[in-house]
Amino acid sequence: MAAARFDELIHAPTRLAIVALLAASEWAEFKFIRDSVGLSDSALSKQLTTLERAGYVEIRKGFVGKRPRTSARLSKAGRAAFERHVAALQQVLAGSGASLLPQ
Amino acid sequence: MSEQVRPDEAARALADIRQHQRQVIDLAMLPTWYWWVVAALVVGLSATVDAARQRPVVIALAAVAFTLGISGVTGLVVLGAWQRAQWRNQLLGRRGVLAILGFVGLAVGTTLGIAFALQAVGVRPSATLASLVGAALLITGGPVLTRILRRIMLDNQARGR
Repeated sequence: MAAARFDELIHAPTRLAIVALLAASEWAEFKFIRDSVGLSDSALSKQLTTLERAGYVEIRKGFVGKRPRTSARLSKAGRAAFERHVAALQQVLAGSGASLLPQ
Repeated sequence: MSEQVRPDEAARALADIRQHQRQVIDLAMLPTWYWWVVAALVVGLSATVDAARQRPVVIALAAVAFTLGISGVTGLVVLGAWQRAQWRNQLLGRRGVLAILGFVGLAVGTTLGIAFALQAVGVRPSATLASLVGAALLITGGPVLTRILRRIMLDNQARGR
C-alpha cells in the first residue's frame, strides 16, 4: 500500500473525479472524461491544465482522420500522488472505526 | 491536512473514486449481443463443415469468413471502447486471464468433445449439433464471464493495482 499523504490539489471534487477516472485508464479521451465527470469543455480544459501544471497529467493531442482528438493520462507522479491520497482517505476512515468495503 | 477531513467526507470521496473508476471498467465489458454473434458464427461454421464435407474450398471459405467475423466483431467492440478510454491491463490480472482461458477452454472442449462423441456413434450432423451446445454455452456463460471479469477488475482496482 502507498504511504498516506493527503493531496489538496487532487481532493477538489472535480479533480478527484478526473484523477479517479484516469487512475483506472491508460488513456482516456477528452469527451469521455467530460461526459463521465459532467463538465463543460472549458471547465475540463481548465482542470486538466491545472493537473498538467502540477505534473500529474499528460495531455496528448492528435487526429483521428481529420478530427482532432485530445486524450489524457495520469503521469507516474500523478498516479503515485493519487495512491497516496486514497491511502490518506482510508486512514481517516480507519481512524474513525468505519470502513468502506469494495463493492 | 488529512486531519481536517471528516470521516464522512473521506467515505464520500472514496465512494466517488470507486464510482468514476467503475465507469472505465464498464467500458471493458462485452455487450450481451456480442455472445449471440459469436454463437451464430460458430454454428454457421459448423453447419457449413457438415454440409460441405467433400468440398474443402467451401470449408476453407467458411473458416476465413468465421475468422474475419470474430475479428471484426471483437475489434468493433474493443476498439470502440478504446476510442473512449483504454482501461489498465493490470486491472484484469492473472485471475482475469485465467477466467477467460478457462471459459474458452470449457466452450471449445465441450463442443469438440460432443462432436467427436456424436461422430463416434454415427449421429449426424455431429458438428452442427455439438456447436449448438457450444453456442448455448457462449450465450449463457458469456454474460456470466463478463460479470466475473467486472468483479475481478473492481477488486483489483480496490487493491490499488
